[in-house]
Amino acid sequence: MRQILIIDDEDDIREVAALSLEATAGWDITTACSGADGIRVAADPQRKPHAILMDVMMPGMDGPTTFRQMQQNPDTAGIPVLLLTAKVQGVDQRRFAGLGVAGVLFKPFDPLTLAAQISEALGWKD
Amino acid sequence: MTALSSMVFVLMLLSLFLLGVLTLRLARTSRQQRSSIEELNEALRRTREYAEQQKSKLAMRSDLDTVKDEFISTVSHELRTPLTSIRGALGLLSAGLLGNVDPKAQNLLRIASSNTERLIRLINDILDLERMESGRAPLKLRRCSMYDLAHEAVDTMTAMADGAGIRLELTSFAPRDSIYFDADSDRILQVLTNLLSNAIKFSPTGSAVAVQIDSNPNSLLVKVVDQGRGIPADKLEAVFDRFQQVESSDSSKKGGTGLGLAICRSIIQQHGGAIWAQPNQTGQGTTLWVQLSRSARASDSASPGVIEPPAERGDGLILVCDDDPGIREVVAEQLRQHGYEILEAGSGEEVIALTRKRAAQIAQNGNGARNGVSVRPISAILLDLYMPGLSGWETLEQLREFGPTASIPVVILSVIPPTDRPPQAGNAQGWVQKPFNENLLLAELGRVLRVKGQSGHLLLVEQDEAMARAILEGFGDSGVRIDHAATLQQAVDRCLLGPPDLLILDLTLPDGDGFSLVDWLRRQPGLQALPLVVYSGREVSEAEMAKLRLGPTQFLNKANVQPQEVEAVVLTMVQRLRNPAAAPVA
Repeated sequence: MRQILIIDDEDDIREVAALSLEATAGWDITTACSGADGIRVAADPQRKPHAILMDVMMPGMDGPTTFRQMQQNPDTAGIPVLLLTAKVQGVDQRRFAGLGVAGVLFKPFDPLTLAAQISEALGWKD
Repeated sequence: MTALSSMVFVLMLLSLFLLGVLTLRLARTSRQQRSSIEELNEALRRTREYAEQQKSKLAMRSDLDTVKDEFISTVSHELRTPLTSIRGALGLLSAGLLGNVDPKAQNLLRIASSNTERLIRLINDILDLERMESGRAPLKLRRCSMYDLAHEAVDTMTAMADGAGIRLELTSFAPRDSIYFDADSDRILQVLTNLLSNAIKFSPTGSAVAVQIDSNPNSLLVKVVDQGRGIPADKLEAVFDRFQQVESSDSSKKGGTGLGLAICRSIIQQHGGAIWAQPNQTGQGTTLWVQLSRSARASDSASPGVIEPPAERGDGLILVCDDDPGIREVVAEQLRQHGYEILEAGSGEEVIALTRKRAAQIAQNGNGARNGVSVRPISAILLDLYMPGLSGWETLEQLREFGPTASIPVVILSVIPPTDRPPQAGNAQGWVQKPFNENLLLAELGRVLRVKGQSGHLLLVEQDEAMARAILEGFGDSGVRIDHAATLQQAVDRCLLGPPDLLILDLTLPDGDGFSLVDWLRRQPGLQALPLVVYSGREVSEAEMAKLRLGPTQFLNKANVQPQEVEAVVLTMVQRLRNPAAAPVA
């Protein structure tokens, strides 16, 4: 079963996104409420996820910074990361794409197709 | 002796008399000079005052714009975050993924869901409109086929039409090879789907919505015809304003944002086209018209995916001056792509220093080539108006005051529309309103450079043949090429064929009037700032003058100015536009 880690500082969004992925795709979801917390979870061999869905704007370490730290950490470097952002302007999109993340998804997402969007971005066929 | 002394006496008397006359005259002359100097001073003071007012207005507007941009961008981001939770929660509940819901509760969930979607669309539309109007969404122009775009729009909207029980019909009356034009295809597609979505929403079930394409050598026309309830005559223009609906309940019933047509108009205007609504002749339903000009370069062949420069290749050295390095970079890049060589300046002071240095080098090098190094003269200057330090006005003034730089053509870049340009801007040869698109900028620059390089080309719009002949006679052998159009349509065709350097316009025309021609010109890239002489048979009121202003504009009354005298006014104007230092600004 696919394991996904959701990193977002908003409790409600974590909950809705987790419910959406569980209900529509049946994936196994873990959540973290900050970048630092997310890195701890992702680096734990017991809980290492198949993919990470991460908010961009978070207090403390933001999404792009967290992503760069994960890239430098051998325990987390190989995990594909999708950014979830409420910034829809072209400039931001290009900046995020330039980071080397696996994809950029936008808020507000459609809860019924979020899992399909993630699968498509990662090339998952199942 | 007696005779001699009386002669001396007479001579003395005479000189005394002459002296008196001379003193009197001198006194009068100096009084006159004093009063005209006072008048000049007063005029100068008023001009300065006006410039100061404009400057502070511009400063205020520019600051306000920045604050507004940031505010809207932040607000839209902040709104999206709570909406994410709401949309997610409602979506999961109403889809029944978390267990069955009571039908009454289901209905409430549907209402909450659809209104959430509407709120999201509204935020997107506001952001979209704001980005377009702030000039941060430049058009990505490429050669497109109107037929392909319309086909794609119809395909996209078929599901919605099927749901509403409405047929979509696409017809092209244009020859297949005359439907190519330069445009941002995503934006045009957005307009077409938006118009179709509107037409479908307001059409009765079982009716048809027709999309018709037509063309003439100069423009493309797309019509979206519905059989709906129609738009009342007094709302035909207002529907393009923000949050304007025919009935106040429309936005809630039809799920629209009230911004769709405002966005359409913004996109079409950015393309230099026009969009308007008209009741159908059958009395039922409405037709939405979109008119886009086919660029002069359109070669009637498809070149999918290839970005083609829309205008003629430029040649010349252009000095781009704006204190915003971002704008400088964008403008410079666009002009480079079209063959221009670019110099950049970040302030008015830099412009003055650069132009003077170059003028000195050229003067020193003789014909521009010595020691194997040639210094190219500056062909034109693009000048921002509001800058810290020397403003655009002051820079223009200083350029004009110094002989070697006095006749360099200047195109003003400003948020002020060319029709509102203040009097002292009269000696800038060109004017482009911000936000501008590439076509508009290139067309205006091209026009200004042409005017400098060629003998004049004028267009006379006059329905009365005898009057036209009389005016043409006045020009005699002045060496100016002058075309004559007797109708509105002829004038439009002539302008599209080759923009004149100046227009002489009579207000009465058999198929319209001078106002509608000016109105049309104002929407055309490259024609918006056309110098204009209005030569009418009646007094033109202040309000009418405002509606008639294009570029530098003069008003002549047939009652006071003979047709043969038009030549002098026009030639002075042309002369001044070419070489602002040579003739005073009226």
